[in-house]
Amino acid sequence: MLKIKEGSLQHWAIRIVGFALLALLVIYIPTQSETARIGQFASAFTLIIAAMSLNMVLGFTGQISLGHSAFFGIGGYTAAILIRDHGWSPGYTFYAAAVIAFVVGCLIGLPVLRIRGAYLALVTLAVAVLFPTLLRWKKLEWLTDGAKGIDSVKYDDLPVWPILGELKGRDGRAVFSYWLGLLVLVIVYLVCRGLIRSRVGRSLIAIRDNETAAAVMGVNVTRTKVLIFGISASMCALAGVLATLNSGVVTPDGQFVTLLGSIIFLLIMVVGGAGTLSGPIIGGLVYVWLDNTTRGIGTDSSGVLGFVFGWTDQSPATLILGLALIVIMLFAPTGLMGLLRKLTRRIMTIIPRDISPTQ
Amino acid sequence: MSLLKTVGLRASYGQVDVLLGIDIDVSEGEMVVVLGANGAGKTTTMRAVSGTIARSGSVVFDGQEIVSQSAESIVRLGVAHVPQGRGTFSELTVEENLRIGAYIRKDSIESDIARWYETFPRLEERQNQRAGSLSGGEQQMLAIARALMSRPRLLLCDEPSLGLAPLVTQELFEVLKNLNEQDGLSVLLVEQNANLALKVASKVYLLETGQVVASGSAEAIAGDERIRKAYLGG
Amino acid sequence: MERLLQYIFDGLSFGAIYALLALGLVVVFRGTGHLNFAQGEMAMFCTFIIWQINDWGVPLILAVVIGMVFGFLLGAGTEATVIRSVAKKSPGGVFVVSIALFLGLNSLATMIWDRAEGYTMGSLFPNKPLDFVRVLGAEWRYKFIGVLVVALALMGLLFLLFSKTKFGLAMRSVASNPESARLVGVPSGVVLASSWGIAAAMGALSGALVGGINGQLTPSLMFSVFIYASAAATLGGLDSPGGAVIAGLSIGIGEQLVAGYIPGWIGQDLKLSVALISIFVVLLVKPSGLFGSLKVERV
Ligand SMILES: Nc1ncnc2c1ncn2[C@@H]1O[C@H](COP(=O)(O)OP(=O)(O)OP(=O)(O)O)[C@@H](O)[C@H]1O
Ligand SMILES: [Mg+2]
Repeated sequence: MLKIKEGSLQHWAIRIVGFALLALLVIYIPTQSETARIGQFASAFTLIIAAMSLNMVLGFTGQISLGHSAFFGIGGYTAAILIRDHGWSPGYTFYAAAVIAFVVGCLIGLPVLRIRGAYLALVTLAVAVLFPTLLRWKKLEWLTDGAKGIDSVKYDDLPVWPILGELKGRDGRAVFSYWLGLLVLVIVYLVCRGLIRSRVGRSLIAIRDNETAAAVMGVNVTRTKVLIFGISASMCALAGVLATLNSGVVTPDGQFVTLLGSIIFLLIMVVGGAGTLSGPIIGGLVYVWLDNTTRGIGTDSSGVLGFVFGWTDQSPATLILGLALIVIMLFAPTGLMGLLRKLTRRIMTIIPRDISPTQ
Repeated sequence: MSLLKTVGLRASYGQVDVLLGIDIDVSEGEMVVVLGANGAGKTTTMRAVSGTIARSGSVVFDGQEIVSQSAESIVRLGVAHVPQGRGTFSELTVEENLRIGAYIRKDSIESDIARWYETFPRLEERQNQRAGSLSGGEQQMLAIARALMSRPRLLLCDEPSLGLAPLVTQELFEVLKNLNEQDGLSVLLVEQNANLALKVASKVYLLETGQVVASGSAEAIAGDERIRKAYLGG
Repeated sequence: MERLLQYIFDGLSFGAIYALLALGLVVVFRGTGHLNFAQGEMAMFCTFIIWQINDWGVPLILAVVIGMVFGFLLGAGTEATVIRSVAKKSPGGVFVVSIALFLGLNSLATMIWDRAEGYTMGSLFPNKPLDFVRVLGAEWRYKFIGVLVVALALMGLLFLLFSKTKFGLAMRSVASNPESARLVGVPSGVVLASSWGIAAAMGALSGALVGGINGQLTPSLMFSVFIYASAAATLGGLDSPGGAVIAGLSIGIGEQLVAGYIPGWIGQDLKLSVALISIFVVLLVKPSGLFGSLKVERV
């Protein structure tokens, strides 16, 4: 087993190699793979962002929310309405969506975060269920187009240049979505990281571990909770904007606008590792991969899967997802991130610098 | 005849070893007291006997090895444990607490309830009150009465005097002494109030960091100058 | 007046069903401190089992009983195998597992009973056009009366079980203090598994009743019922069985009243929303429901 000092030459070497590999992969995907694959990654990015936003609230602060699909929807609808009805340029809708979702998030969070535990789960569940009915509401049809939703959200100023390399049969829009998604993802990741490493982050974790103790230590619990809920909502809205830009459609029963969306964000966060910064990234990639590989299993598949699932016409994707989730909770309750850490610890340990007596 | 005998009893919480091999012997009808500083492992010893913690070594109760048995089955053999901090069911009424105390019994329990109400009249006055709303002393009485409802042969009693007024403590010890002398109930008692404990007990074990450092008859321990200084406060 | 009475009759029956499912949530929550998100889907799955057995030629009433037994085994088995070991490692993980069950059971039902238009579900009670009594001018249909009676009877039995039997006392003792319960000899494993089992069996019955009222069976049968039931459990207090029943019945009646008297500018589609928003308001004033105690916090 290797022992490496933090900040030593080897440590930096590992970091640089890791980063280079990651960069290579990130460039490889849009320049070398097919349009469909690129699209999958683009949609993975939006889900990762949504899961990251949930992670701030649930993973780091310990406040459960099943209502994030509503914030996702707010982002999606903001973009769609501003672009289609008001002729906005897509780029600016990110700012608008973030601000609106922040305000709505704080408004919902202010009363709701008094409620705790299982009650909070059920109240936010109600938010998730209410949101689509609100979108369908006749009185709001002038804004949301009711049940049929808003489609053909077009934008003309979409750059078709591939950013890196040539398109060579790849769809320019998919490549653009990929880079745009990646950009937002990186920004959201950096914001999360900054928050967690700041004083705010320590307050969040203090609240999660023991709210009363945190309050005694001088953390303004209510303000911190509401603020982080608002920030989280606006991050989730960014994911919603991305989804709308990618697909050009938003409807009240779109997968991520309904309760199912909240559930998926939660799963991604848990599978990756709740309360870790990179957990949602791993979780999101695994989810999209699992979703795409299992979606096709059915009557026509062969081999073991065909044998097991040959009797049904329906896709067993969700069943497999559910089973996978149970297996993860049984054998790796800290998620894939926790598993990964355990594995790397077998191979090497990074010895932290001397902890200075002042914090 | 030995009713309870532990040999090399060990227990740990996660990585931390708390009991490092405890040998304790309680004879039929005897009242034995375990003394020791905070954190010495007294509570853990009791839990290891009653089966509420994983342990190793040997615990023989009434000729039967019980070290690998569960708490649910050990109580059926006749060991009742009054845990430190009482552990009453606060949402249940006083009477329900007594009834659940007799969970393992199939025969009629009404006469037992009546008997413990007689011993602790204050419980009878509050029989329909939720246990959580009782005073500390009343809860301790309830905890003991609940344990006795299973008609045990050995009573494990962990710091019954904790937080009680001296007068109530006196009263409780009187009850324990009577049970021991008149009903022949064997008692393994953990107590901080050493002077009081030494008066009622016949045998004493002194625990220090998970080990028995001294043991003997109550008189011998009480008479030992060195032990008095170190443990019994002069 | 006649109209009002009609709404109350219909509301009572729906409310009784919500209360049944909500009681399931409460039984599990009180016993183990966990929120079973799959309560509705377990009920749906059992209802399909009931339909299937009935379809094989077994009389419906017998099929319902078998379905409830199946539900008990499903619930108890889930607790004993998965839930318990997850709970040991991470208490929050149980909620995630229940979400996984929610997804898995729904998907499995879709795979097995794979027909878009659903199946016709028989009613346990007479259900011809003229099967009703008139009370003060309002029609009280036999099937609604039947649902109400059966649901209330089961709830009554449950209350007897909890308050009058030794097993009920054991269940409450485990909920109150698991370690002390073991010390008095209560086999906590059996008790915990049973609370999940009982909850799932009640779910099976509520599923059969909903199916009978709707006359139709699809995998989405229980979803909105579950939302109402969770609203009822929240409103009444997650650890208060009485609260769940009162809240369930009130939500059922309230739903009918809102649907009947709703002002035009809101419109029918917001019926569910009215229920949910009113619960919201209650929770803001009392964060642990109307009849719940404050100490409960776990998910
Ligand atoms: N649940 C637990 N998890 C981890 N460590 C524990 C636990 N309970 C006790 N310990 C540790 O085990 C040691 C012995 O504890 P124990 O409760 O047996 O002491 P005690 O002699 O009963 O003390 P006191 O007189 O304060 O009741 C202590 O160092 C304590 O910190
Ligand atoms: Mg102790």
